[in-house]
Amino acid sequence: MEPASALAKGVEALDFGVAVWSNTGALQFCNKAFSKRFGKASPESLAGFSREEFLGEILRCSDLIVTTPAQTWIEQQIANFENNERNRLLFSDGSIHQLRHTPMPGGGTITVLSDFTEIIRSERSLEKERDKSAESERVKSRFLRAANHDLRQPLASLKILIYNCIEAQSDEEREQLLHNMDVSVSIMEDLLGALLNIGQLDAGRVEPKISTFQVSMILERMQIQFEHLATEKGLDFRVMPSNVALSSDRALLERIVSNFVANAVRYTDTGRVLVGCRRKGRNLRIQVTDTGPGIPETHYEDIFKEFFRISTKHSYRKHSLGLGLNIAKRMADVLDHRISVTSTPGKGSTFSIDVPIGSVWHSDMGEPDINERVGGEFSGLTALVIEDDDILRDALVSLLERWGMTVIVLDRYDNLQPSIADLENEPDLIITDYRLQGAVQGTDLVIEINDTLEKPCPAIVVTADTNPDLIKSIRQQGFPVLIKPVSPPSLRVTMHNLLYEPELVPEISGRTDDG
Amino acid sequence: MIPLSGPSAADAREFRNGMLMAADEINQRSGILGRKIELFFEDTGSQSAPEVVRAARHLIGHHNVHAIINGYNIGSQNSEYEVIADAGIIYIHHNTLLQHHDTVMSDPDRYFGCFMGDPAEYWYGQGFIKFLSWLRETGQWEPRNSRIAIISGNKPYSVVIANAMASATGQFGWDLVKRPIVVKSSTENWDEILDDIRAHDPAVLATTQFYSGDLARFHLKFMENPLPCLLYLQYGAMHRTFSEIVGDKGKGAIVGTVIGLPRDEIGKNFSRMYTERFGANSTPEVGCQPYTSLHHYAIAAAIAGRTGGPGEAQVNRQVAQCLLNYTYRSVAGTIRYHPKWQSVVPYPDAVRDPSLGLPHLFYQIQGPDQERALIAPEPYADSQFELPPWLNNASVG
Repeated sequence: MEPASALAKGVEALDFGVAVWSNTGALQFCNKAFSKRFGKASPESLAGFSREEFLGEILRCSDLIVTTPAQTWIEQQIANFENNERNRLLFSDGSIHQLRHTPMPGGGTITVLSDFTEIIRSERSLEKERDKSAESERVKSRFLRAANHDLRQPLASLKILIYNCIEAQSDEEREQLLHNMDVSVSIMEDLLGALLNIGQLDAGRVEPKISTFQVSMILERMQIQFEHLATEKGLDFRVMPSNVALSSDRALLERIVSNFVANAVRYTDTGRVLVGCRRKGRNLRIQVTDTGPGIPETHYEDIFKEFFRISTKHSYRKHSLGLGLNIAKRMADVLDHRISVTSTPGKGSTFSIDVPIGSVWHSDMGEPDINERVGGEFSGLTALVIEDDDILRDALVSLLERWGMTVIVLDRYDNLQPSIADLENEPDLIITDYRLQGAVQGTDLVIEINDTLEKPCPAIVVTADTNPDLIKSIRQQGFPVLIKPVSPPSLRVTMHNLLYEPELVPEISGRTDDG
Repeated sequence: MIPLSGPSAADAREFRNGMLMAADEINQRSGILGRKIELFFEDTGSQSAPEVVRAARHLIGHHNVHAIINGYNIGSQNSEYEVIADAGIIYIHHNTLLQHHDTVMSDPDRYFGCFMGDPAEYWYGQGFIKFLSWLRETGQWEPRNSRIAIISGNKPYSVVIANAMASATGQFGWDLVKRPIVVKSSTENWDEILDDIRAHDPAVLATTQFYSGDLARFHLKFMENPLPCLLYLQYGAMHRTFSEIVGDKGKGAIVGTVIGLPRDEIGKNFSRMYTERFGANSTPEVGCQPYTSLHHYAIAAAIAGRTGGPGEAQVNRQVAQCLLNYTYRSVAGTIRYHPKWQSVVPYPDAVRDPSLGLPHLFYQIQGPDQERALIAPEPYADSQFELPPWLNNASVG
């Protein structure tokens, strides 16, 4: 075979396109791969086309995707030819091809058309990974800033509450403060949860969990979270009660309102902060009004931008990162709730959010399972269990706990009075084994315990001893007896009767008759 | 197993009626896969554990029954579950007790066949607080204050309802004046109890006593010097006995049921057929309970392919699975069993969609010869709430 002929055959067999242009810009030759990519069955059909004619033809006939006007595109392509610049073509099957023009010695141009689809996809995927990693870094640092910002409120509140609790004058006051501390801690827990959401917010992955709940739940938490801080500053802090069911994401909404209140308390030096609600058509508007420095109207939009601060003159603002309102706004956007602000510089501001009113019937009670632990007849009562056998005791404790009881186990029988006096709750019921270690009798223990308690506690005696005389003697002392193994239904019946219908307990009613 | 001779004898007669009517209807269509239903009734007297266990043993041991379906026996504390689980048969009752959830969930494999054909009494408490909040939020009623007083009966049923009400108050902006006052049946000292409550000046007074006689005696005492508050009476006040005792004085009190008859075409049609058969003084609202469950059982057994007697647990497991899988639109509303509790899911207390739950209906009592006004929930309500006469008079005065 002649070398020229061999070369032509070789070029024809290539899986990428090759075209040769004369020095006047006419197409002299192209291989099949080239013509086929542009929708032409044979290379001959393109022979002799000028560059303009070729470009016009492929625009008309091929599945090339061109987003600029045809004439502009053609002019760009010709400029690429003349400047020997590479460029990429996108086809409707999703493939991307690169055109590369190279001048030939002695005039003319050779064009190579190569499939770049895989290379470009790899490039893009690498770019995506790089962006993701950069975003993750950005999210991490934003998260840390936001955590610092938002956890300060409940922490400060907790500090004051702990101090007040140490100084508390009465048990009642201490109990109230402990309750408030508990709420503050749960607010911190919720905040951390919400902050994690911020990371997701940045990644566009926040999916609101819409449920129906009472606005009073949010208002009560605002009261507990901010009352102490506001009072410490000498502010008149008021939360107006409201009883309306809302349909929203409770955690996200609470974050938004809490942010409004935190800002109001932080920036108001004198006067008051008022949290209230009013109906607006199908929405409830939750408003936070303060007598702080106010915001010029020109900044109404800016304050919701990230890291925006009006001025650093105010000492609190120096420490503000300017993230809170931005987060609030973004959360409101996710919830599709409208946020608004009105303000008079020097007099104060009102921040508000409009939340859809829900049906109270659909209120979420936050209980995945309805069982006796949640609402049984023994739920909330305390049982004192005295049983030496570990296995039997564990089974009994687990049964009573399943019925919602708090269970106290007594495993030492000496020095009984101080250990009973130390109990957090006085028992409502005692369940005791009859024969205990050290020849101690359960009935004697019950009598001793009841001498210590303010009000005598009913008791059930369990025993494996079926001696009729023994059982009779225990019953005569006024204690119902259950024989081991105790079945849950019989225990339940006896417990119910002892606690709610003592007249049905023959051991008790019999004793009453005797007395 | 129905308490034909005890204090719930009136209900027991209706349970018997409901079973007779359902069995006749099913047998007229050739029974379950060609086998006719045969009914046996056992009296459970005062519904105590020994009486109910004895009835279950007799039905299983003597009559070899494939299923036990009844109204309620509320004093047995689930003791009969053991006998039924040992026999491996199907048991559908309407005890309306939360302890059913606990027993079934404690060992789902053992109690596979035990079903409660209505929602637990727990929902009465929660649902009532939602109902009150709904009245307040829709502006149908403006409470004078947020205080609620609760009087509880001393049966587990009453205690659970009172506790559930008490625990839901705070979440909906209500304040409990004190822990529910537990009173025994046939209590005599109503004056003392009502004076104590009067001192707290509540906007709502709820009583969860079980027996209609107890509720009627309480109501008459209340009406001697009514407190300026809304009054809620537990399910027993739905009974004819209650209306017969209190007469016109009952008007305005609120009463609810987690299983009743909606006033739609299906409910009305059943009510008409029931009273045609059992007389104008019969109570289809009570009879519908076992009626519904026997029909559902027949459908489930037909899909399962057969019914199983004592010792044929494998067959009955198939029937139980069909009861769980196939939601049934009964005359009382939708019977849809919760897969873990094996009790019926209530609407709107637990689900938003009325087609997925049995309606928890709220009524306002009218005159003794008038139909009660069904005031909630949508879409079942056919009347509006009206201020009770003693509150109307109070506001005029």
